[in-house]
Amino acid sequence: MIRFPLLLAFLASVAAIPASGQGRTPPPETMDIGDEPGRVSTAETVIEDGPYARQMVFFRTNEPPNTLVIHTSERFLYVVMGNNRALRYGIGVGREGFQWTGLQKVMRKAEWPDWTPPPEMIQRQPYLPRFMAGGPGNPMGARALYLGSTVYRIHGTNQPETIGQAISSGCFRLANGDVIDLFERVPVGAKVIIRHGPQV
Amino acid sequence: MSWRKSLAAASLVLLGLASGASAQTGTLEQVRQRGTLQCGVSMGLYGFSFQQNGKWAGFDVDFCRAVAAAVLGNADRVSFLPLSASERFEALKSGRIDILSRNSTWTLQREAELGLIFAGVLFHDGQGFMVRKNANITSALELGGKKVCVQAGTTSQNVARDYFAANAMTVELKVFPDAAATLAGFTKGECEAMTTDNSGLFAERLKLEKPGDAVILPDIISKEPLGPVTRADDMRWHMIVKWVAFALINAEELGVSTKTLTAAAQSNKPDVRRLIGAEGGLGKMLGLSDDWARRAIEGVGNYAELYERNVGTGSRLGIPRGLNQLWSEGGILFAPPLR
Repeated sequence: MIRFPLLLAFLASVAAIPASGQGRTPPPETMDIGDEPGRVSTAETVIEDGPYARQMVFFRTNEPPNTLVIHTSERFLYVVMGNNRALRYGIGVGREGFQWTGLQKVMRKAEWPDWTPPPEMIQRQPYLPRFMAGGPGNPMGARALYLGSTVYRIHGTNQPETIGQAISSGCFRLANGDVIDLFERVPVGAKVIIRHGPQV
Repeated sequence: MSWRKSLAAASLVLLGLASGASAQTGTLEQVRQRGTLQCGVSMGLYGFSFQQNGKWAGFDVDFCRAVAAAVLGNADRVSFLPLSASERFEALKSGRIDILSRNSTWTLQREAELGLIFAGVLFHDGQGFMVRKNANITSALELGGKKVCVQAGTTSQNVARDYFAANAMTVELKVFPDAAATLAGFTKGECEAMTTDNSGLFAERLKLEKPGDAVILPDIISKEPLGPVTRADDMRWHMIVKWVAFALINAEELGVSTKTLTAAAQSNKPDVRRLIGAEGGLGKMLGLSDDWARRAIEGVGNYAELYERNVGTGSRLGIPRGLNQLWSEGGILFAPPLR
């Protein structure tokens, strides 16, 4: 199989980005990578270091604790903790044209969710499977939080190198270990605010 | 011509000469004549002002580039003068530099006694704490009964002592002679936390074998507002520098960035149109061309771009926006409106 070494080379190149020091050029807006069903990422995978690592930050808000604030242009998801602080996670967001804003609720939570790509996604990426059972090779990753009645959710990923990028079809993805952490903190019914930078 | 008229004419000429003479000596005119902006920076502080492949880079450096773009139409027309902490203010007073953009804290003494004036706050720094990740400490209030490493003879030592006293906590301060020894003390486990200014903690963390093993708490326990400085005797120049800073912050708030400048030119939002100089004539009021802010944004980006590239997600420092997030997005960064 030629796919595996290629993938390793790709991962190595991605890993090299943060180490290359002061980046005068910002990372590309949209990462050119498709879903990779079958590629394995374990439940232990977290973003260990750098700005997209899970960390407590100063965050002033009137929203009650356990509210989720997703800032798509920043590539961060905040869980409001009260007392001017929030737990911040690095996320991957929808690519250009697949970013949205709004107010939602966590309607349901699932562990190792199955994946049924919606028809519009199949139309764009006909090579995708029609159904895939949950597990470490599933692009939905370790956990999913379903947002209202939308087709969107906050989920894990089997491509942790895509955190910080605009790539998905509108879902918000976290590394598997990080989405498990989030899953345990956030109850069903939690308020979710999805923000994007202002339009000129 | 009556004597009355000729007297009036003569006094007009005199007035013209007087204002012309003072205009000649103003910083704006000097910068224009010279064709370059003289910008005082640090001797080398990663992320803020430092040399990279022979070129100056960083947050404070980029702010001077923004001013050069607004005033001279070109972000590259800056000459940088590295200054030590002790010589920085004298260099500004004596006119060797037009702007001091060198991680300097805005204090009363620096304005009232030195005759300088701060053009606003571009980076809200303040004292924070770094702890080991596996200690599972999430707040400075959990440091009671623990040991904290701090450098001797710094304000950090006093601030920490006052903070713990104010919160009725018993904390032992382990004092070290310099920054390197303080970090070594933390690494060797002589203390559970180390404290200095937040930006310094992120820089020190990079020196750890595994930076990810340490976390910096979100608590900021002191005020260190950093910003650019000008001479107090040239309010016109001060106003230009101040409003360039405000323009970069307003640009972020309005979504105007290097990526959206072209789209912004087509915008029908009055705030956006005033910012990019399509209406309002704000540039003229400052004595600049109407595209002053557009050129600054084109040169260095809006505040978010400036921040993320130099000290945020695009930098190895990775300092969260925190206090420096916009007032409307969880921080305290605030700029008056451009109108």
